[in-house]
Amino acid sequence: MNPLPEQWRMIVPAALGALAVWMLLPRDGKRRWVLGSLCGLVALVGVLSTVRPVIDDWAMDGLFYLFGGGAVLSGVMMITDRNPIYAALWFALVTLSTCGLFLLNAAPFLSAATIVVYAGAIVVTFVFVIMLAQQAGAATYDRRAFQPMLATCAGFLLLGAILYTIDASGRGGEDARPQFLPRVQIAEVTPNPLSQPRILNEETGETDLGSLSSIGRSLFGDYLFAVELAGTVLLIATIGAIALAPRRAQGHL
Amino acid sequence: MISALESQLAIGAILFTLGAIGFLTRRNLILMMLSGEMMLHGVSINLTAFGRYHNNAAGQSFTVFVLTVAACEAGLALAVILTLYQRRKSLDVELWSNLGEADLTREVEPAFPAAPPPHEYPRLTPAGAMPKPQAPTVTAKTTT
Amino acid sequence: MFDWLQQNVIWMIPAAPLLACLWIVFVGQFARRELAHRPVVLALSVSVLSALYLMFAVVPKTFVEHHGEAHAAHAEEHPAEHAAAEPEEAEHPSEAVSALAAVEPSEEGHAEETHAAAKSVTFLVYNWFDVGDMHIPVLLRADAMSSLMLLMVTSVSLLVAIFASGYMHGDPGYPRFFAAMALFVFSMCMLVLAGNFLLMFVFWEAVGLCSYLLIGFWFHKPSAAAAAKKAFVVNRIGDFGFILGVFLTWTTFGTLDFQQLFEDPTLITGVAHSNPAIFTTICLLLFVGAVGKSAQFPLHVWLPDAMEGPTPVSALIHAATMVTAGVYLVARCAPLFMHAPLALLVVSIIGAITALVAAITALTQYDLKRVLAYSTVSQLGYMFMSLGAAAANPEHLMQHAVTFAMFHMFTHAYFKAVLFLAAGSVMHAMGDIIDMRYFSGLKKALPITHRTFLCGALALAGFPLLSGFWSKDEILSVLFAASRTSSPYALAFSIIWAVSLLVSLMTAFYTFRAYFLTFHGPERFPEAAGHHPHDAPPAMAGPLYLLAFGAIFVGLIAGPTHLYAHYLHQTPGLPTADPHPMNLVMMGLSTVIALAGIGMAYALYGRGATAPAPDAPLSPAAAFSYNGLYLDQLYLALVVRPLRGLAKLSETFDKQVIDRLVDTTAAIPALVGAVIRPFQNGMVQNYAFIMLLGLAACLMWVIQAVAG
Repeated sequence: MNPLPEQWRMIVPAALGALAVWMLLPRDGKRRWVLGSLCGLVALVGVLSTVRPVIDDWAMDGLFYLFGGGAVLSGVMMITDRNPIYAALWFALVTLSTCGLFLLNAAPFLSAATIVVYAGAIVVTFVFVIMLAQQAGAATYDRRAFQPMLATCAGFLLLGAILYTIDASGRGGEDARPQFLPRVQIAEVTPNPLSQPRILNEETGETDLGSLSSIGRSLFGDYLFAVELAGTVLLIATIGAIALAPRRAQGHL
Repeated sequence: MISALESQLAIGAILFTLGAIGFLTRRNLILMMLSGEMMLHGVSINLTAFGRYHNNAAGQSFTVFVLTVAACEAGLALAVILTLYQRRKSLDVELWSNLGEADLTREVEPAFPAAPPPHEYPRLTPAGAMPKPQAPTVTAKTTT
Repeated sequence: MFDWLQQNVIWMIPAAPLLACLWIVFVGQFARRELAHRPVVLALSVSVLSALYLMFAVVPKTFVEHHGEAHAAHAEEHPAEHAAAEPEEAEHPSEAVSALAAVEPSEEGHAEETHAAAKSVTFLVYNWFDVGDMHIPVLLRADAMSSLMLLMVTSVSLLVAIFASGYMHGDPGYPRFFAAMALFVFSMCMLVLAGNFLLMFVFWEAVGLCSYLLIGFWFHKPSAAAAAKKAFVVNRIGDFGFILGVFLTWTTFGTLDFQQLFEDPTLITGVAHSNPAIFTTICLLLFVGAVGKSAQFPLHVWLPDAMEGPTPVSALIHAATMVTAGVYLVARCAPLFMHAPLALLVVSIIGAITALVAAITALTQYDLKRVLAYSTVSQLGYMFMSLGAAAANPEHLMQHAVTFAMFHMFTHAYFKAVLFLAAGSVMHAMGDIIDMRYFSGLKKALPITHRTFLCGALALAGFPLLSGFWSKDEILSVLFAASRTSSPYALAFSIIWAVSLLVSLMTAFYTFRAYFLTFHGPERFPEAAGHHPHDAPPAMAGPLYLLAFGAIFVGLIAGPTHLYAHYLHQTPGLPTADPHPMNLVMMGLSTVIALAGIGMAYALYGRGATAPAPDAPLSPAAAFSYNGLYLDQLYLALVVRPLRGLAKLSETFDKQVIDRLVDTTAAIPALVGAVIRPFQNGMVQNYAFIMLLGLAACLMWVIQAVAG
């Protein structure tokens, strides 16, 4: 299936991706975006073929490729686009793709909530701020990346390490080393009893995982204290934002 | 070959890394914050994937907390960015490096090239004739 | 009533001035500053009356028994300790004021009546500390010697305070002056009343502090500030010896309590037999303290400079009271000194040298106050000569030596105080000019001052029948007696006796030189005096007259009748001896010397001769005398300059070696820091980059560890 030897099938796409990102990052003069995009596409295909899920359902596979590939592509576009507004819109696309992956992970509520919070609130606010703060024409500082080579190398070094780990643990059986993800028996370990979804159908094993009631049980049962803390953090952040926001005459930014 | 979990984790890792690279390379304060949010997305994908894998709602609960923190962060970051913008009329992060060692000789970057002229967007032709500016009949003291 | 007084009068003496001082500090300096003298005068009146009462309380039946039975001592010993250990009681002397107000205020001088059983009165204020075997109580202890000293201190203080209320009038620091003075009287009374060496040392330092404060009273004057500093520093040298002596006393005897040390002869004699050398050491160390405080020869240089202070201060502290503390200390420790004849000889020799040096210096001074200051130093030398005279035959001469030294101190306090106050009056009238080359013939302009100064000068010169005559004559006779003994020191005392005669002559001469230069000759005033110099106002004239009265009659009342001597002999622990017969030949000799000195002064300065112009050159001999035998310059060259050189050297060492060393040490972290400093360049993204690198490194390390 994969033409590369085992130890190379994660490293080569990572290196190609690094090359692509490096070439695509904004810089003085002209970007080699054709070559960069090519490298990026190859890398993406390589990665996706490697991490191909083994779900028999082709529709689910297709959706995974769509959302996963979309998220990665949009991410690359976001960090490489010179225009901040476009970058913000690419970010919205990353968010949408992420929400699609949430759906695949049986988290419909989270998916909706993330769309509302990010795409609906955060991105819009950022776009407003960008538009208000944007000077006439493209800002010069958006046209040159800061230490692109170093940052790309460091980032893909990290990525390579993570992917290598995932790959190694994924290919291994029960006795494979390194075994980062022990196949725990769910019945044996029930650390958060209220976070366990209810079984709806004994025969099919269908549960209510991801439903509102399941998340609600988890949040207000196992994580009640954390919820209260999160609420407090929100309140404090609100007050802090109000205190920090610059005072100005009406009609001025 | 590898399970759904690992493929999801790979996507999360890629998003995380791209966010980190974006945070490191972009000079625009707002884009830096957005890159940070993208790193949070990668983490959220990991959390939900693990929740799915363990058939447990805890992962999703954690994602809710991540959302909460992200919202707080966005609000505060915007307030800070606006304040900084008020001071320098620019979103360039490099203008804010006063906390460094004062007498450090920093490598001098070449000056930014001149920005291209703003893009000319097509405009609608004005409807009718432009009104002629009238000679001011009222003295300026009416303004309060 | 009288029982209560008997037990409590002792603490009223120091408590009253302390209260006055506190009152001025907390109230008087904020409201009605011009009346700040009132609490002090009131408190000192209380102190004088208390001291007077204490005299009779210490030696009961003073009036009843005849002084013929002088040596029926120790017959009825009162329980010595009235340890009413209630310190808060010491804060309410107001009842005592009303109780004592009924007592008739009697002038000083005739208090020396007869005596009965010797004893001491003690009063425990509180236990200061107990460390191991060391029990140091704040214990007031009064016996015959200290009550005489107290009477002198309080009465002179009272008169000087009244004088100062006129003299210091209008000074911006008026309340400060009286607060410091009250503090001084408190400290001095506590010094006299101290029941152990450590307490004495504490107040020994306290009087030094008050002296510093008062010499530097006009601290904005650089000369006054320098004089205060000089007095303080020179005194510290002596105090160092004193405290060493106290330490040695503790290690030798295991106690610092006067009661145990002086009233128990077995303790001292026991050590004296086993280790006589230690006595000499202790006594010499204590004497070093006395040398500092009483301005004796090597350390006398501070006293003339101390005249920068206000004149009442000079009169009170630097003539009558504080400087006599050294004499008091040696007299107090007579039971110790008795066993150290060598130390006594040193005391006498130092006294003789001091007396001679100071007298020579005084001969040519033109500053009236400096003449008096050198004369004070010289008279203190007399007292030490007298104290040391016992070296020749301690068993027989100690009592007389102490008696005559204390008697001279007593009379000297009065006539020197009147001289200083009269000099102050001259200064007051002359607009703060005190150099005798700028004025003369003040007899008509300042009649009161003239009369009182003359009384003091005659007393100081030893004119027959005046105070100084009696006391000085007795000192001469005891020195003569010492030179007639068969001890190996007889020859030394012959020389000392000759010196004392010479000094006596010089004393008469320089005293009357100053008198004639000031009050006789053509009438001249300095510019600063204005057109009509005014004589002393009543507040100043009253004390002058009273002190002049004392200068004339104290000696006459107490000298030939031996009242003073008999009273003083009631001091417990003082060795007893045969009565000292009056030496008529010595009296005649001393009279002739005094008259010769006065006559020489009259011949040179009395017949209209005036002082030379201020800028006239001096002959070498006169310059030698005028500059105080160049002792200050000698000290400058021998002590101050080498010390400064050493300081310079230390400074250079500090800057060149130690500072360099420190800088090098500091440079090492800076060097190390230079390696990682570039990371701290203030750019957020740099920090994030380093974090990311760190994260990647950690992850790789984990993989390596687990997979390997």
